[in-house]
Amino acid sequence: MSNPTVAEAWVEAPLTKLMEDARLISGVLLYPTGRAVGQFGFSNAADVMSICALTSAINASSRELGRQLESKPFYELHHAGAERQVFMARALAGGEEFLFVGVFDNESSLGVVEIYFGEFQQALEKLRPEKQVVRPVPAGDFEGELNRSLDALFGPIGKR
Amino acid sequence: MKSVSHVVTSLSHVSGVLAAMVVGASDGLIIETSAMLGGGAAGDPRKHTAALAAYLYSRVTRASDAARLGTPAFMRLEAEQGHICVVGARDVVLVTIVTPGANLGRVRLDMMTAAKGE
Repeated sequence: MSNPTVAEAWVEAPLTKLMEDARLISGVLLYPTGRAVGQFGFSNAADVMSICALTSAINASSRELGRQLESKPFYELHHAGAERQVFMARALAGGEEFLFVGVFDNESSLGVVEIYFGEFQQALEKLRPEKQVVRPVPAGDFEGELNRSLDALFGPIGKR
Repeated sequence: MKSVSHVVTSLSHVSGVLAAMVVGASDGLIIETSAMLGGGAAGDPRKHTAALAAYLYSRVTRASDAARLGTPAFMRLEAEQGHICVVGARDVVLVTIVTPGANLGRVRLDMMTAAKGE
């Protein structure tokens, strides 16, 4: 399996460890706005773009559903398919929120993924730089932000 | 198999058993667990133990199949400060965390009896 490609270097080590320990097939770490921070298991920017958009939308809708049902958002989502399973969860680092979505099969299990995701969260908290690189505040430019993060992961369009 | 609560309660009363758990075989999540006796400062290890023991048992099952030995009946992992014992029972696995000085024969018998539903 290839190493993760990252838009922010500090996530590479914890993302690599999560991928290896939890035996994940693929995964994407992103901001809730849909901006990708790192990925593994994908070679196509369009796939990552779709996953970021869908994960961002799923997070928004499941969070609102959680608020409506229990007055608090859900933290984790798991979908077990026939052969592959999807795990989606929030991670907090330095007050900043991240989303992670990962895919695994019967080479791993939900319990194992949860354990190593817990360690991943702790690693993010420890490694996160005090001062982040200033990035544009999301102002509804979802597509632009997504494209910038994909350029960072896969290179500019035309050079991918 | 008897009710999971009954299995956990009876296994946790065996001398030397620090914790007994019924764990999902495919997802490694705890279905029922006893309290952890003598939990140290490192926190409660049951969730991690359950997930990794179920995972390990699935790998051992594969190895056993590959060696044409059939389904493993009993798995015991011996460590410096005790043992982890695992027995499969269809969709669940029974997991116990056991002290080094425990009567392993009794633990094994009780776990296998529980798995058979006797």
